[in-house]
Amino acid sequence: MRWFLDPRLLTSLIVGAILAVLMLPPLVMLVQGSVLSAGGSPVWTLSHFRDLFTAHRGLETMANSIVFAGGSTLLSLLIGGVMAWLVERTNAPLRGLAWVATVISLGTPYVLHVVAWLFLLGPVGPFNDLYRMLGGNGNLVQVQSMGGMILIEGFLWSPLVFLLLGATFRAANADMEEAARISGATVLQTVWRISIRLAMPAILALALFVFIRAIGAFEVPALVGIPSRIYVLTTAVYDSMTRMPPNLGYASAFAVVMVGLVSVLLHFYSRLSANAEKYQSVTGKGYRPRPFDLGAWRWAAGGLILLNFLVVLVLPLLALLWLSLQPYSRGFSLAGMKSLTADNYRAVIEAPNYLELAANSLIVAAGAASVIMLLAAFAGWIAARRGPGGRTLDQLAMLSLVFPGIVLGVAVMEVYLRVPLPIYGTLWIIGIAYVIRFMPFGMRYVYAGVLQLHIELEEAAGVAGAGYLTVLRRIVAPLLTPAMVAGWLFIFLIANKELAIAVLLASPGSQVAAVAVFDLWVNGQGGELAAFGLLWTVLMTGVAFLFFFQSRRGGTDIYGN
Amino acid sequence: MLQPLKLLLRAPMLVFLLAAQAVSPAHAAGADAALVAAATKEGALVWYSTLIVNQITRPLALAFEKKYPGIKVQYSRATSSDVALKITNEARAGRLQADVFDGTNTIDPLQDAGLVEPYLVDAAKSYPQDYRDKAGLWTTMNVYFLTVGYNTDLVKGADIPKTYDDLLNPKWAGKMAWTTDPTSSGPPGFIQNILAVKGKETGMDYLSKLAAQKPVNIPASQRVVLDKVIAGEFPIGLMIFNHHVAISAEKAAPIAWARTEPLVATANLLSIVKGAPHPNAAKLFVEYVLSEEGQREVAKAYYLPAHPNVPATVAELKPLQGKFEARTVTPDMARAGIDGWTALYQTMFR
Repeated sequence: MRWFLDPRLLTSLIVGAILAVLMLPPLVMLVQGSVLSAGGSPVWTLSHFRDLFTAHRGLETMANSIVFAGGSTLLSLLIGGVMAWLVERTNAPLRGLAWVATVISLGTPYVLHVVAWLFLLGPVGPFNDLYRMLGGNGNLVQVQSMGGMILIEGFLWSPLVFLLLGATFRAANADMEEAARISGATVLQTVWRISIRLAMPAILALALFVFIRAIGAFEVPALVGIPSRIYVLTTAVYDSMTRMPPNLGYASAFAVVMVGLVSVLLHFYSRLSANAEKYQSVTGKGYRPRPFDLGAWRWAAGGLILLNFLVVLVLPLLALLWLSLQPYSRGFSLAGMKSLTADNYRAVIEAPNYLELAANSLIVAAGAASVIMLLAAFAGWIAARRGPGGRTLDQLAMLSLVFPGIVLGVAVMEVYLRVPLPIYGTLWIIGIAYVIRFMPFGMRYVYAGVLQLHIELEEAAGVAGAGYLTVLRRIVAPLLTPAMVAGWLFIFLIANKELAIAVLLASPGSQVAAVAVFDLWVNGQGGELAAFGLLWTVLMTGVAFLFFFQSRRGGTDIYGN
Repeated sequence: MLQPLKLLLRAPMLVFLLAAQAVSPAHAAGADAALVAAATKEGALVWYSTLIVNQITRPLALAFEKKYPGIKVQYSRATSSDVALKITNEARAGRLQADVFDGTNTIDPLQDAGLVEPYLVDAAKSYPQDYRDKAGLWTTMNVYFLTVGYNTDLVKGADIPKTYDDLLNPKWAGKMAWTTDPTSSGPPGFIQNILAVKGKETGMDYLSKLAAQKPVNIPASQRVVLDKVIAGEFPIGLMIFNHHVAISAEKAAPIAWARTEPLVATANLLSIVKGAPHPNAAKLFVEYVLSEEGQREVAKAYYLPAHPNVPATVAELKPLQGKFEARTVTPDMARAGIDGWTALYQTMFR
């Protein structure tokens, strides 16, 4: 009779209610927007979906999305995979460089990389300059193209692939490789016949994961795609929402298509990754497989690692440094060396708005990360311990995985333009969107953390007379802290890294760093953009290193699935 | 049952409307002490600008803050349609933040939505008639002349475009860039100019030939396009503000503007948001920007002031002194035609 006094059920109900209020309205709003006509008295209609196929080159847009996501997935798998294997499984020199590049890129907003790459691969960038110097005519690289989009997106994702595949290679069973080597197989034969096959389920799962994220990618399609007249689903949504008047029906219809596509892919992803874990038979033995001796090829492998380090990290940063020191934009040149100026840095430091928006970013990301980890601590623990309503809580918390960032931006904006809660144009609305979007990550961190704790600790405390809250406070919370801190830092980092969620929600009074960089680019303040971007990268790199050491210490390896 | 309730709900609205009728459009007596006091009490204002921040928005805001130390100016820059969209959304959400906005076509949708506050600016009394709206919805803050900009390292001598027809030369195919800004200061302004100058039939013929040249759409401001021309990414930029060229040329950038006549002349209009959270600070700011003092700041930034008594820093940027012909798109023309021109741009060039 007094069920409402059961603290476990009560917690489930409260957490469940909060999650439902956060997660469900955006989804409802999207579906509703896609089937209601615009205007004063909306009626049910399928015309928005019909428009996708007739007007606005809808089919072409969908095809572009798939080509773009597929191409960049393959490229990032190739780069990241080779790097991961060299670093984890061989005795190549300079392996530390790959880690440095990864950690720094974890702290840099994507949009900053894209701006740098647009310059580097552009008509006056060093690549085309070199080509012309060698006697070529015109441009070798045409960055404003589908090829350019795939190339840049592939570079953007390769550090994450490196990180995730590295974990797979590290945990791989080396027995079979040893056997192959002893039987006289060469390194290449062993890799091809054993290592790759063993890692294949993990590679496939990762490929699907990167593909899903690339479907939702916004930075590259916006900055590289739109000038080339190549629209993908995300830019089509953005375009129809930033027109005057905005076309909500069309945007929602595209968004629903995207959510549907992502849901189907996620279904396969969860099956694949469940499969992938089955293959990791030897985890937890606590030993490291013997690295392959590459012999004379060691230095070639080291050269490859160095090249990757230069291309993925040093070149973009150098480009930003160069742009930040010039009075007007120009290619790398000796003449430009004479006109170096610190004006842009002075402007960034003196103008009040940069400090303000940096503070905004830090506050809203920290706030969102805290709320997520708090909610996730309860929801994740209840779900992992199969408490009352655990499955429902898990599903609710993971629901937002189906939202690409830009879609969530549209949905959250429409929800909070309609409810009488005056938070549009404030940091609150961005914070809410972050909480919705990154809740699944917090959930994963807590879930994985709880599974590492044996339940007998909690049972022992219970037997000794500790109540529910005491167990949570004295046993679970302290032991979960490393996973929670790692999760918090990770969410803090990606919230500051992604542009797509906030781009439609940020207002002049509630600017965040990634959106500010995008705005500066659109507005034509390239010099200040580069100066601010570099300073911001330095700050975030500090946080990224903190995260990196924390997650190594906490033994949690979750980077965004 | 419902009728009385509705009436009851509307009553305050009616009172408000009547009150608004009684006081507006108000004629403020310049930046008088009462206005300054009321504005200082509000302590801040928010300006949604379409101007380039480091060139003019920031210097103007700082100059205003210096003159009125108690009032903080918060500014941000976006495209015309973004500014209009943000203000519309804020109104929908019942939480207006913007006090003042500017832009070439920003006002059109906002005026339709009833979001513009009429205010006859005292400081602009001496402005030419067509620089200010009779009802006080907008006042011209600076004028623009848009033309072809070219990189002087890459385009020399006989290659420099002298007429619009020179842009159809096959050697410029894929080498011209312009903004995607859907205003009369962007491609729609170019299109209307061609149609007006060449007539509908020849004009459309010209536009389809230009579309075949595939000018690159840069989803950013005219300033970004110019920077790309300066950097040499494109030898030629279309719909470039000639004063932007002057700003960069002063820093020794390899850039010049061509006299493809008639140039497109547009105006940047300053307005106050209806229901602005800082109405007095907004008025004071508008008075300041349009005063001789404010207009001198505009000129100092190399922009072309609207005030008849304030000369431009580079006089040759204006038709009379620069001896070039320009065709003006008045706000009324823009309001009537912008949808059609934008539609042409969307179908032919995107």
